[in-house]
Amino acid sequence: MELSHVLTYLAESAAIALRADAAAVCLLNESGTHLSVVAVHGLPAELLDRGPQEIRSCALDRVALTSRAAVVADGQHDLLKLPGQDFRAGLCTPLIHEGQPVGTLHVYATVPERFSEDDAVTLRPLADLGVAAIAATRAMAELKALEASQAQFIRVMTHELRSPVTVAQSLVRSVLYAGDLSDRQVEVFTRINRRLDGLENLINDLLDLAAGKALGPAEEGPVVLNASIGRVVLLLQPRAEDKSLEMTFQACRDQLVIRGTEEGLDRIFVNVVGNAVKYTSPGGAVAVSVQQVDGQAQVEVADTGIGIPEEAMPHLFEEFYRAPNAKKTEVGTGLGLAIVKDLVERYGGRIQVKSTVGVGTTFTVTLPLLSTGAV
Amino acid sequence: MANQRILIVHDDPDMVAALHLPLKSAGYDVLDASSSQEGLQKIQEFSPTLIILDAILETASDLQISLALRNPAPQSPYASYRHIPILVLTPSHTTASLRLGSDEAYLPVDDFVDMPINPDMLLNKVNALIGVGD
Repeated sequence: MELSHVLTYLAESAAIALRADAAAVCLLNESGTHLSVVAVHGLPAELLDRGPQEIRSCALDRVALTSRAAVVADGQHDLLKLPGQDFRAGLCTPLIHEGQPVGTLHVYATVPERFSEDDAVTLRPLADLGVAAIAATRAMAELKALEASQAQFIRVMTHELRSPVTVAQSLVRSVLYAGDLSDRQVEVFTRINRRLDGLENLINDLLDLAAGKALGPAEEGPVVLNASIGRVVLLLQPRAEDKSLEMTFQACRDQLVIRGTEEGLDRIFVNVVGNAVKYTSPGGAVAVSVQQVDGQAQVEVADTGIGIPEEAMPHLFEEFYRAPNAKKTEVGTGLGLAIVKDLVERYGGRIQVKSTVGVGTTFTVTLPLLSTGAV
Repeated sequence: MANQRILIVHDDPDMVAALHLPLKSAGYDVLDASSSQEGLQKIQEFSPTLIILDAILETASDLQISLALRNPAPQSPYASYRHIPILVLTPSHTTASLRLGSDEAYLPVDDFVDMPINPDMLLNKVNALIGVGD
């Protein structure tokens, strides 16, 4: 709900409740020195453009705010010096939030002596509700701004942290490639290389996890699944080729669109397909397919890898958990699947796994469809 | 490989050093530029056989070398260099490289290499773009 809507509704409600001819809501600035008209009902909209007025010149509001009580008034009020306005009665009640004055609520009538103390009493609960609504709306706006700045921070940090590691890895790989090193130097550089790879994985995983939590639903939109998965397969092709793995991709005949973010989809499938490639020995195979099953999108990643032991299955998606046979094979942090599960569920989907040690593993990710269309 | 000059446009001297090792060992001459501006100057001065661009520098700078070279405007002083193949170094861990080639973020380049670089893959792509063996 937008703040302006809440405020207009408050003015309207006050006018209706007291059967007044007009109403207005005024809010104080942060330092409490100026009042601005922020919503009107039955009054010209130009009042909203008036700009902040010094509280000293708003006698009625000043009294209401300092006494913390409604003020019944007759005659013209300071705020309403507009030609054509002929109000003979008014009521001004302060808006108090957690003991602090935040503004005033005015109602006006053309009939003199229209409002009484009883009306002030009637207006009180409405004023309180209005204040609560204003406070909630503001808090939501602050939260959204905070989330946006957090997401931005994560993005900047992502680049800042990954960059030096990437450069260091490039240097080490290049110097190893040059081929003119002593055995000892090769050994040391190889160790450094492995540690850098581990560091890269850890940074990626931690940042993915944090970013996954920071990115809000506001950033989600339609994502074309075939294209997304296709790109991941292409990205991992070189790694598969390095290991002489046969990697296949079966796209869905129809264009499946799901709700998410490109980045989130990347993370999910770079992790799942990446794992398949990582934990499958040379000569094996990884098969990726996208299908429509029971009105949902289903992505299957099947490998002929080392498999997942029974005892690991219940813990698979826990943060930092690594199956006993995985630790021996490859460097990893154990965060990957936790991130994947977090994201899949955020997009309204499910992830399942079937595995046999020594034979292979199949991960199945199911996601609700936004729409389908023939290609 | 005489006269095969490769121009690297990258603002990180360590990354440039990492690229020099495999390229030089393969017999190429290597030139560096640490900004897009310097890059365009060196293109005009040295007419390199291949240009390696850093994706981040390229997309973040006001002057995009790939666009300057491949800009169809006839008055462009760089028009005569449009034939020089361009290889782009792309950030790791994302499929951003593949999206760079899509319609929404059009960069007229010839190929991509993910970082951290795999020297073999780098040389394969460089050789292919330069047409070694022709």
